[in-house]
Amino acid sequence: MTGLIYKDFLALRGHLTTYLVFFVVYGGLCVAGVFTPSVLCGIVVLVSLITPMSTVTADDISRWNRFAIATPVCRRGVVAGKYLFTLLMVLLSTVVVAVLLGLLSLSGRSGEDPLPEMLLSTLACGGIALLMNGVTLPLLLKFGAEKARLVSMALFLLVFGSVALLGLAMDNGFVLPALPAWLAAALPGLLAIVSVGGFALSYCISQAVYAKKEF
Amino acid sequence: MSNLLEVSHLTKDYGSFKLDDVSFALPGGTILGLIGENGAGKSTTIKCILNLIRRDGGDITVFGLDNLKQERAVKARIGVVLDESTFHDSLTAPQVGKILSRLYPSWDGALYQSYLEKFGLAGKKQVKAFSKGMKMKLSIAAAFSTRPQLLILDEATSGLDPVVRDEILDELLSFISDEEHAVLMSSHITSDLEKAADYIVYLHKGRVAVSGAKDELLDSYGKLVCSRSELAEVDPALLVGTRVGQFGCEALVRDRHVFARRCPGLTVDPVTLEDIMVFTVKGDAK
Repeated sequence: MTGLIYKDFLALRGHLTTYLVFFVVYGGLCVAGVFTPSVLCGIVVLVSLITPMSTVTADDISRWNRFAIATPVCRRGVVAGKYLFTLLMVLLSTVVVAVLLGLLSLSGRSGEDPLPEMLLSTLACGGIALLMNGVTLPLLLKFGAEKARLVSMALFLLVFGSVALLGLAMDNGFVLPALPAWLAAALPGLLAIVSVGGFALSYCISQAVYAKKEF
Repeated sequence: MSNLLEVSHLTKDYGSFKLDDVSFALPGGTILGLIGENGAGKSTTIKCILNLIRRDGGDITVFGLDNLKQERAVKARIGVVLDESTFHDSLTAPQVGKILSRLYPSWDGALYQSYLEKFGLAGKKQVKAFSKGMKMKLSIAAAFSTRPQLLILDEATSGLDPVVRDEILDELLSFISDEEHAVLMSSHITSDLEKAADYIVYLHKGRVAVSGAKDELLDSYGKLVCSRSELAEVDPALLVGTRVGQFGCEALVRDRHVFARRCPGLTVDPVTLEDIMVFTVKGDAK
């Protein structure tokens, strides 16, 4: 299965350079004060969602999966490889953003937001990325990248559109009802459980879907 | 000589097409050629063996193991070449090797390198810059380097020039010199199978139309070339299919030895596998 993950990284090599430039540019803009560093947190979701989709697109174009299933990794290994790769991308992008935020904070350019809060936001974005991939991966594996891309984009717009609208509403005086103290305290843990649990459930669904797929 | 592959009563129904009750066996140390016109069921049969599609009925055992229940163990000993290259365009041949070395437990890196050099694929050229023939050679190099016991090739020699095809056939013949090895090979190029195959299974409209040892088939079938009046005298039960032209007639004779006894005045020529295919289709069309 490590061969499949290695293949995904090789297939993404060109894109990875783009993402690196993306991080450097946004990091630079944050240093310059154009954006607040918290913008970097959103990149975790963006990168973690786009990279698995790109690898599925590359697999579809080359019809790689027909061959992969004929190898000893079989269907289960193909699904497991894709989920492991996604998990690695979520972890990698979270760590890169956390390091960038740390560097910005050390250089005194992290703005008004305290570092622990931004790191918590980054972790939360990692959780959201896991959850969103949990929704899109079964669709990608069932229908292929072409058909599933629309659903993924709609999901991305829904989540970030909602956040943007909420922000806009709050700027205009809308006040969110205060969460009970116990819920506020449990929120990080709940998000972690929902994210990891959702991703695990998604994995089981994908295995069932892929077991029935014909090539 | 035990069977490395046994397909029994294999059925797959797509609605518009049905692979119907296909059975054959592939003994060790032999090459079995799967022939048939487009859409006859060759690729469907291979896909069922590799579990790329689910079968509706029948059994498939490879090395005596069920191909579904012991899928991983079976696939670790099969080398596969599909009808088109499935490697990503951005990869180079050495990268393909690195990927496959992590997928196959018996991967032989040195053998792969030797094939790359032999086929002129060893450089850092990406797959997208390869010709169709080069892509197929890469797939074949990869399949051999898995050190398989069973090689499954689906139209692997199509797109290759005659010289390379001949080289590949030589490799296959060398591969099966070990009785623990066997090759299942589907091809439109029946002349290749005439050179290399020991057994032939001819699929027609999803069913096995002809099967048996290649030499016995070529010895048994014959091609009658005669006039219209002579053809009219022949018992149609002796013939599989006929082609009536302006200047004469041709017909496929099922058993040339029986035919020679029944019609001693008519000459029956040897046949090729292509003749058997073409005339069987013509006979079926009637």
